[in-house]
Amino acid sequence: MGDGSSNRTNSNSNKPEWLQQYDLIGKIGEGTYGLVFLARIKSQANRGKSIAIKKFKQSKDGDGVSPTAIREIMLLREITHENVVKLVNVHINHTDMSLYLAFDYAEHDLYEIIRHHRDKVNHSINQYTVKSLLWQLLNGLNYLHSNWIIHRDLKPSNILVMGDGEEHGVVKIADFGLARIYQAPLKPLSENGVVVTIWYRAPELLLGAKHYTSAVDMWAVGCIFAELLTLKPLFQGAEVKGTPNPFQLDQLDKIFKVLGHPTLDKWPSLANLPHWQQDVQHIQGHKYDNTSLCNVVHLSPKSPAYDLLSKMLEYDPRKRITAAQALEHEYFKMEPQPGRNTLVPCQPGETFVNYPTRPVDTTTDFEGTANLQPPLPVSSGAGSMPGGHGSNRAVPRPMNVVGMQRMPHQPMQAYNLASQAGMGPGMNPGGIPMQRGVPQAHQQQQLRRKDQMGMPGYPPQQKSRRI
Amino acid sequence: MAANFWSSSHYKNLLDQEDVDMVNPLDKEKGVTLEDFKLIKFHMANYILKLAQQVKIRQRVVATAITYMRRVYTRKSMVEYDPRLVAPSCLYLASKSEESTLQARLLVFYIKKLYADDKYRCEIKDILEMEMKILEALNFYLVVFHPYRSLSQLLQDAGLNDLNMTQVTWGIVNDTYKMDLILVHPPHLIALACIYIASVLREKDTTVWFEELHVDMNVVKNISMEILDFYENNRMFTEDRVNAALQKLALRP
Repeated sequence: MGDGSSNRTNSNSNKPEWLQQYDLIGKIGEGTYGLVFLARIKSQANRGKSIAIKKFKQSKDGDGVSPTAIREIMLLREITHENVVKLVNVHINHTDMSLYLAFDYAEHDLYEIIRHHRDKVNHSINQYTVKSLLWQLLNGLNYLHSNWIIHRDLKPSNILVMGDGEEHGVVKIADFGLARIYQAPLKPLSENGVVVTIWYRAPELLLGAKHYTSAVDMWAVGCIFAELLTLKPLFQGAEVKGTPNPFQLDQLDKIFKVLGHPTLDKWPSLANLPHWQQDVQHIQGHKYDNTSLCNVVHLSPKSPAYDLLSKMLEYDPRKRITAAQALEHEYFKMEPQPGRNTLVPCQPGETFVNYPTRPVDTTTDFEGTANLQPPLPVSSGAGSMPGGHGSNRAVPRPMNVVGMQRMPHQPMQAYNLASQAGMGPGMNPGGIPMQRGVPQAHQQQQLRRKDQMGMPGYPPQQKSRRI
Repeated sequence: MAANFWSSSHYKNLLDQEDVDMVNPLDKEKGVTLEDFKLIKFHMANYILKLAQQVKIRQRVVATAITYMRRVYTRKSMVEYDPRLVAPSCLYLASKSEESTLQARLLVFYIKKLYADDKYRCEIKDILEMEMKILEALNFYLVVFHPYRSLSQLLQDAGLNDLNMTQVTWGIVNDTYKMDLILVHPPHLIALACIYIASVLREKDTTVWFEELHVDMNVVKNISMEILDFYENNRMFTEDRVNAALQKLALRP
């Protein structure tokens, strides 16, 4: 991994040598850590293979390589699992001291899949897909947990799903910037000045638990499971920003409203949690009605799906179901059984959805600044799609905002061939951790999206599934 | 894997002693001998420890930093990677991978305080540049397993976990980082060798306990011999000799 020659430049161009092994397609995401690009491999061996390249921002205040990048590299260099994103290379550009992680590219993520169903398709995700996504997520998580790694930041946008190719529909857990090996003592997230979404955060953390256990990841999986079923975040609390205190009243309120008041009876160690004990905001005294989770997720209380979900959302982290136990749950043993290609069920008559591909901003170079490079031949598929050409037609927006507008959708036949030709049929699009950052006006770029929603008819050979 | 030694990159990248003892051709050209090579690494391990004591950082970070430094010199020359910069940069990188991030400016400050010699001087920028070069030289493998992890468990199991034995053994483990053992042997075997030496020193009978362990006692004894040899020889590692060895690196061919 890496190359000792990253400093040298070719006489024909200013690109560092390592960069010349890729064709840069464009920017696909950005977050607080830096930018993510889509690129394709040029070399004979893997020609056309899609790679997501995560570029870490150079530190400005003389801190060198960011600890987030160090953690991510450190863990990903040690782990290999079908349901964990694969780090294929690390590159360093010594000239400007920037660091790049190259991953197999994944076309989809749960955030986009859920949003597509909610905003475009208007029907729920089919049972087979929900179950397969959940099973593979748990499978990857079981691997991590049995190797003493806690992810700590599971959320739909960090759960990737592979697009067309040999691994079509396979789940990949991504973004290990907050992950920890938990034999070492773990500082609370807030102590590291880290901000993560609170919607998937376990109640023990919100109440100030000092130590993380793998149960925090299982809580997040429960929240994601419910979101896959209802297409809405289960506990959508409003976050109080800028406080080092993990206590988030509104988030706890949202949880208690659905799951009822936690009691010492059901959760004995609750008494030891600092923010429950101190009770500055008098949550102990709140009375929550016996609302029920099954109504919120529209499941029968007797169904195995409900049983599994409620075990993931168990208040007491010690009683919460583990990934290993969850994989053995009855829910996964009954029809439809989970499969390897989560997106394409094999049962005839099941509806399934063609998910849109990620929007790619082809006007950005590796520096993150707009450049006026003519569209590369490989990206001409996207460029030539009706309505997708010309900056005045594109919708300027950051790609990662909830409820963002899309290109008006076009009949698939009109451009699918072109785009597929560009992608190359046998290739293996892979995945990247993407973070939904805060949109900023200057970051808004021209984005193109191949919108292929609602189109039935995967080629028949893709309907087979393996597990 | 990050928590299971047998599937870790650390285990997969363990080296044979003769590979560790290969002096880089560029260094050889300058007249650096195997003795010089070991001497410089010994000195740099001490340097890392001294710096760490100044900035008050945990022993595990020191151990990881020294391991990084030793790994770097299995692949890179001292001529190109000046040990006087590599040592503090390894401590800097290890502080991040061990979750105890240090500030580079603090290191720069204490380096000045420890060494009046200009050759040790460095700027923040030098450390940051070297950090990246070290990452690359390590091939981005950062997880290191240490004997400390198994030590207390093993001592307890052997019924030797009194304060005195713990301190003696711990001290011997610290000393093993002045040699290349961590590049060659699995850490639990290093821990066992240290327990073995400590139990002989303190006249504790551990024969039965070792027999029941299902480990290759020959390896444990060989590691112990190496450690004892080191104690025997390190008196000759004087500052003058270190400086003479470092001097060679600066010579023009």
